[in-house]
Amino acid sequence: MTDSRRLVLDRLKKHAIAGDTSYPAYSHPHTGITDPRKSFQSVIESVGGECRFVADLDDAWKVVAGSEVFLSAKQVCSYVKEIAEGNFDAEAIADARQCADVDLAIVRGELGVAENGAVWVNADPLRHRALLFLSGHLILVIKGRDIVPDMESAYARNDFSSIRSGYFISGPSKTADIEQCLVIGAHGAKSLLVLVVG
Amino acid sequence: MKSHARLAAGFLKQEERAHWHDQALWYVREKRDRMAASVPDWERLRDTAQAIKRHALANLPHYLEEFEGNAAARGAIVHYALDAAEHNRIVLEILKGRNARLVAKSKSMLSEECGLNEYLERNGVQVVETDLAERIIQLAGERPSHIVLPSIHIRKEEVGDIFHEHLGTEKGESDPTRLTRAARTHLRERFLAAQAGISGVNFAVAETGAVVICTNEGNADLGNSLPDLYIAVMGVEKVIPKTRDLSVFLRLLSRSATGQPISAYTSHLLGPRPGQAMHIVIVDNGRSEILQRERFHRAAFCIRCGACLNTCPVYRRSGGHSYNYVIPGPIGTILAMHRDLKKFKDMAYASTLCGSCTAVCPVKIDIHRQIVLWRNDVVEAGYLGRAKSAALKTATLGMKSTRFFRMGGWTVRTILRILPPFVFNNRLTIWGKSRDLPRMPARSFRAEFRAYSRRKTNPPELGAKKEGRS
Repeated sequence: MTDSRRLVLDRLKKHAIAGDTSYPAYSHPHTGITDPRKSFQSVIESVGGECRFVADLDDAWKVVAGSEVFLSAKQVCSYVKEIAEGNFDAEAIADARQCADVDLAIVRGELGVAENGAVWVNADPLRHRALLFLSGHLILVIKGRDIVPDMESAYARNDFSSIRSGYFISGPSKTADIEQCLVIGAHGAKSLLVLVVG
Repeated sequence: MKSHARLAAGFLKQEERAHWHDQALWYVREKRDRMAASVPDWERLRDTAQAIKRHALANLPHYLEEFEGNAAARGAIVHYALDAAEHNRIVLEILKGRNARLVAKSKSMLSEECGLNEYLERNGVQVVETDLAERIIQLAGERPSHIVLPSIHIRKEEVGDIFHEHLGTEKGESDPTRLTRAARTHLRERFLAAQAGISGVNFAVAETGAVVICTNEGNADLGNSLPDLYIAVMGVEKVIPKTRDLSVFLRLLSRSATGQPISAYTSHLLGPRPGQAMHIVIVDNGRSEILQRERFHRAAFCIRCGACLNTCPVYRRSGGHSYNYVIPGPIGTILAMHRDLKKFKDMAYASTLCGSCTAVCPVKIDIHRQIVLWRNDVVEAGYLGRAKSAALKTATLGMKSTRFFRMGGWTVRTILRILPPFVFNNRLTIWGKSRDLPRMPARSFRAEFRAYSRRKTNPPELGAKKEGRS
């Protein structure tokens, strides 16, 4: 193994890349976004998700309480207690596999990206990051001021120095592997609701 | 081994299917165009992406060591493999060390390249592909025909048959949603039972040691979070210097690949989850040789989006299985030639050289130019075949001498006017199989040009031209 390491690295010292090989100075802000909130919402809808703007957490609860996924859910696991208590505590169980029957998970996101409707979720506060993908449906909650226009500004705000796992989640799980027909709900969440608070 | 032309002829026999295949991919290409047009800085993004790749690949040992150090500091165990065999051996050893007999695997073209599944199965490890398309392919006993849409050649009725046989869905079921739900249930059981997860890697960030994986289904995420053992396999070229560079590549990748603004899940893994062992296997397997070839090194810039396949008129009309290499299409061609010039020589001719691949490549690889250069190498190595070589030699003679060229032109113009078409369109002339000759002009371009010049210096009187008009 150590030999292979040395050999691979040695082989890669020789290369035929000519010309300027310096690290490029670049910045590519997405100048096409005039209204980040509107873009964020419309992209989420275009990728099969739903995005609602609410004034505060009480309003958020009203949206959740009236939603089909909440009303039909048997197991609800919530990390935003101000919105819903939930009846399944993922923190109390040792094995992530026991989250397999969770119908709805409510989790906080840290950022929303207007150009692609992605929500940045830092999974470290979750004992089981698998919950994000096992849950039948997913609700992500972000603050209104945390919508950034593009990926460049998103990465400028993310701090990776202590994070163990983080995800950009854009819309529900999906596949088009059978004849290019879009099917929502492949392995992960069958629906995604993003609540933008404030 | 059958050549691309013969395999393509087989594919085209089912005319309706071939047409559908063409249309399905063109639809993806059009989505890509709309997405590209929606990003104001698209062309500059491509330039930046190429510049980052050029920099990263020129400094690979440095960035690999930085990545390795950071990933190790986060608790991942990093391995290096010289070639496919060593890669497979390392993966098997890790699995055996943890007594893993069932693996939930996510899409990885590298593992296809290395023949990992077959190797593991031979050694008593059951591998379940968890990407829907890969699972369909695996159950059908086929290989992917596309690097991003592996089952693009299979119709829904056939998926129905495959699932009926293996998953017990109802006979004749061909509804994509119901078939997908059946696969979800079937694979959920495997995810929960698997002792290990294996996935490929889209980007590895040197600065942090992060492994970044892009999927739509969420399969990679179940595979890397549920089992207590997770193995990420990656080619050496996947390393990028900084986290910030992801903003460039992620903006290009999904838009180029499937016309999505970003894939549903973009996972950043920095070390294992608590209680898990995470291994990263970094593989060379010929990549260092590609980087050492002056004319061809840019093939190593590829981020595996598949845009060049979707746009290629030859790929769309011949299907991925017409190419003998594991990666089909334009990018597959310029990668295959590095592996074995003789074996894959026909792939260099599976191209119209229209340049569409180069035009859509998110990292601006000069794909069609490389294909021309590979043809050059095929000819020089003497792999062209006697008939084609003789034809080319004659053509070279004609091109070199004005006298021969004129004589040749006159002969062809005269003979083809006299001879009936069947002389050309018959079984024996390969070129005439699916083509008709154009109508021969009465005189050569040279003669036409002389006449034109004469007309220009002595233009006919204006009045004469306007004759007949009021």
